[in-house]
Amino acid sequence: MEAFIDGLFLVLQWKAFSLMMVGMAVGFVVGLLPGIGGAATLALMIPFVFKMSPVEAFAFLLGMHSVAATTGDITSILFGVPGEGLSAATVVDGYPMAKRGEAGRALGAALMSSLVGALIGALTLALAIPIVRPLVLTFGSPELFMLSVIGIACITSLSGLSLRAQLRGFAMGLLGLLLSTIGQERQSGSLRFDMGLMYLWEGLDLVPVLVGIFAIPELVDLAVRGTSIAGDKLPTNLSSGVMEGIKDTFRHFWLVFRCSAVGVFVGIMPGAGGGVAQWMAYAHAVQSAKNAKEREQFGKGDVRGVLGPGAANNSKEGGDLIPTIAFGVPGSGAMAILLGAFMIMGLIPGPDMLTKHLTVTYSMVWTLAIANIITVLLSLAVLNHLAKLTYIRGGLIIPFVLLLVFVGSYTANNHIADLVVTFCFGLLGYIMVRLGWPRPPLVLGFVLGKLVETYLFISVSRYGFAWLSQPLVLLLIGIMVVVIVYPFVREKPAWAGGGD
Amino acid sequence: MEKKGDLLFSIFLILVAGYAALSASQWSFKTGFFPLVIAIPLIVLTIVHLVLEFFGGAEKANGPAVEAEFTTDVEPAVARRRAIETFSWIAGFILLVFLLGFPPAVPLFMISYLTIQSRTGWLQSTVLTAGAWGFFYFLFQRLLNLQFETGVIQTWMGL
Repeated sequence: MEAFIDGLFLVLQWKAFSLMMVGMAVGFVVGLLPGIGGAATLALMIPFVFKMSPVEAFAFLLGMHSVAATTGDITSILFGVPGEGLSAATVVDGYPMAKRGEAGRALGAALMSSLVGALIGALTLALAIPIVRPLVLTFGSPELFMLSVIGIACITSLSGLSLRAQLRGFAMGLLGLLLSTIGQERQSGSLRFDMGLMYLWEGLDLVPVLVGIFAIPELVDLAVRGTSIAGDKLPTNLSSGVMEGIKDTFRHFWLVFRCSAVGVFVGIMPGAGGGVAQWMAYAHAVQSAKNAKEREQFGKGDVRGVLGPGAANNSKEGGDLIPTIAFGVPGSGAMAILLGAFMIMGLIPGPDMLTKHLTVTYSMVWTLAIANIITVLLSLAVLNHLAKLTYIRGGLIIPFVLLLVFVGSYTANNHIADLVVTFCFGLLGYIMVRLGWPRPPLVLGFVLGKLVETYLFISVSRYGFAWLSQPLVLLLIGIMVVVIVYPFVREKPAWAGGGD
Repeated sequence: MEKKGDLLFSIFLILVAGYAALSASQWSFKTGFFPLVIAIPLIVLTIVHLVLEFFGGAEKANGPAVEAEFTTDVEPAVARRRAIETFSWIAGFILLVFLLGFPPAVPLFMISYLTIQSRTGWLQSTVLTAGAWGFFYFLFQRLLNLQFETGVIQTWMGL
C-alpha cells in the first residue's frame, strides 16, 4: 500500500508531471493523425529518455502512448479514418453516427468508455501482477493458436445471420489470412507471393492496408453524397450529444466493463495486440444484442459499437503492461519498444519490478490513470468544436483527409508503393461494401495471420497433431463452436426462414 | 447489376486463391503448408457461395451486421460517375507524388482539387492550400522529421 501511494507522489512531482503532460500533448496529436501509431511514436521518443529517471521516462512514454489510443477514436468517428493504426473498429459504428449528426454523442461515448477502460486496465495491472503468472504460463502455442482462431471466428460469425452472409464472412477472414502470408516466410526465409518486388519481401504493412480499406471507401462515399459528413442534419445539440454519450457509457456500464475485461485479457496474451482487442470487444458488443432487430443496428450507428472498442482499446494498455513488467514478455509491438526503455533505464523486468522497483511499477499504473483522466477532460472541453468539423462541406474536407491518409500510409515504409497499396485496398474496400462483403473479418485475418501461422507451426513441430487433444485446446475449440453457432441458435426463427 | 458484381468478385477470389494454392503446392512443406490450408477452403467457400447466390433463391436474412452502408440517396449513374472521379483524383495524387515527390505534390493537388472538383473560389482555395502546406511542412517535415522521397522528375534532372 505504501508503494502504491509513493508511486502516486512520484508521478505528481513537478518534473515527472510536466514530462507526462509533454508526452500527452505529443500523443494527442499523433493519435489524431491517421496511420502514425503510438508504437511508431514511442520508437521516435525513446532517444529522449536517456537523461530521465525511470519514473519520468515512463510518465513521458506511457502518458504519450495511452493518450494516442484515446484520441485515435476521434478521427475514426469524425472522418471514418482510423486515427491510430489499430483503432479501426470504432469506425464501423462511430462514423455512421457522425453521418447521422450524432458526432458529439459518439465522441462523448468513445472518450468516456476509453476512460473507464483505462481505469479498469490500470486497476487490473495494480492487482494482477502477482497472480497472473500461472495464467500466462498455462497458454502455450496451441492455446494461443486457438485463441487467435476464436478471434477471427468471433468477428466472422457477425457477418450476418444467413448462411450466405456467414460464407462471405469466413471467405473474407481467409482472404485476410492469405494476404498475411505475402513476403518472407519466418521459419525458412523463403519468399512467398512477392511478385519479384523487393517491397513485398517484408509483407504488406498493416497501416496502408487498414487506412486504405476503411478510409478511402468512406471518402469516396462522401464525395458521392456531395454533402458534409453529417449531411443535411442541423448542427444542434452537440453539447447535449456529448452528455448523452457520457450517459450511454453508464447506461451500458456492464457492457463497457465486459469489453474492458476483453481488452485486458487480450493485452495479457503475448503478441495479440490492440487491434485484436478492439475487434473482439466489438464482436462481444454485437453478440450482446438481445435480438436480430437490435443486432441489425450495428454497423449503422449503434452507440454500443463505439463503447465496446473504446473501452477495450484503453484497457488493453494495462493488460499489455502485465507480461511486459512481470516477465519481460511484451504483449505488443509498442510494449516491445517500451521494453527497450526498461533496458535504457537499467531495469530488468521480472521479480525485481515487484519487489525492489515496486514504486516504479505503481507509478506506471498511476500514469495510465492520470493521463487518461486529464486527456478525457481536455477532449471533452474541445469536443464541440471538433464535432463541428462534420458540418464542413465535403469538397473542402476530402483533400485534407486524403493528404493525412496518404502521408500516414507513407510512414509505413517511406515508399511510393505504400500509396499504391493504400489505393488498391481502398478500391477493394469500396467494392466489398458495394457488394455486401464484410471488411472486418479480412482485417482481423490479416492482423492475426502471422501469429496464427507461427503458433500453428510451433504447435505442429512440437506436438505433431497431438496438440489437438490437449484439454485446454479442446475447451477453446468448444468455445469457438459456441461463438459460431450461438447467433444461429438464438435467432433460429430468423434464419430458419432465411432462404438459405 | 449486384449479381453481376458478385459473380465477378467471386471469380476474382477464386482466381486469387487458385493462384495461391498452385504456387504453394510447388513450395516446400514448411513454406507452402499454411497458404495451402487457407487457399483451398477459400476456393470451396466461394464456390458454395456462388452456387447459393445463383441457384439458392433470394437471401432473406440480408446484409452484413457489422459493416457500413453507402448512401442510396444519389442516382446510381451519378454515384458511379462521382466515385470514378474521386478514384481518379486519388490516382492522380499518387502519380503526382511519384513524379514530383510529396512536398510539391501536396499544394498542387490541394489547389487543383479545391478549384476544379470542389469548385471553391480562388481566394479560399489559395488560403486553404497554404494552410494545408504549412501544416504538412511544419508537422511532418520539421517536427516529425519524416523523410520523403524526391520525385522521378527531380531524379532524372539530377536535382
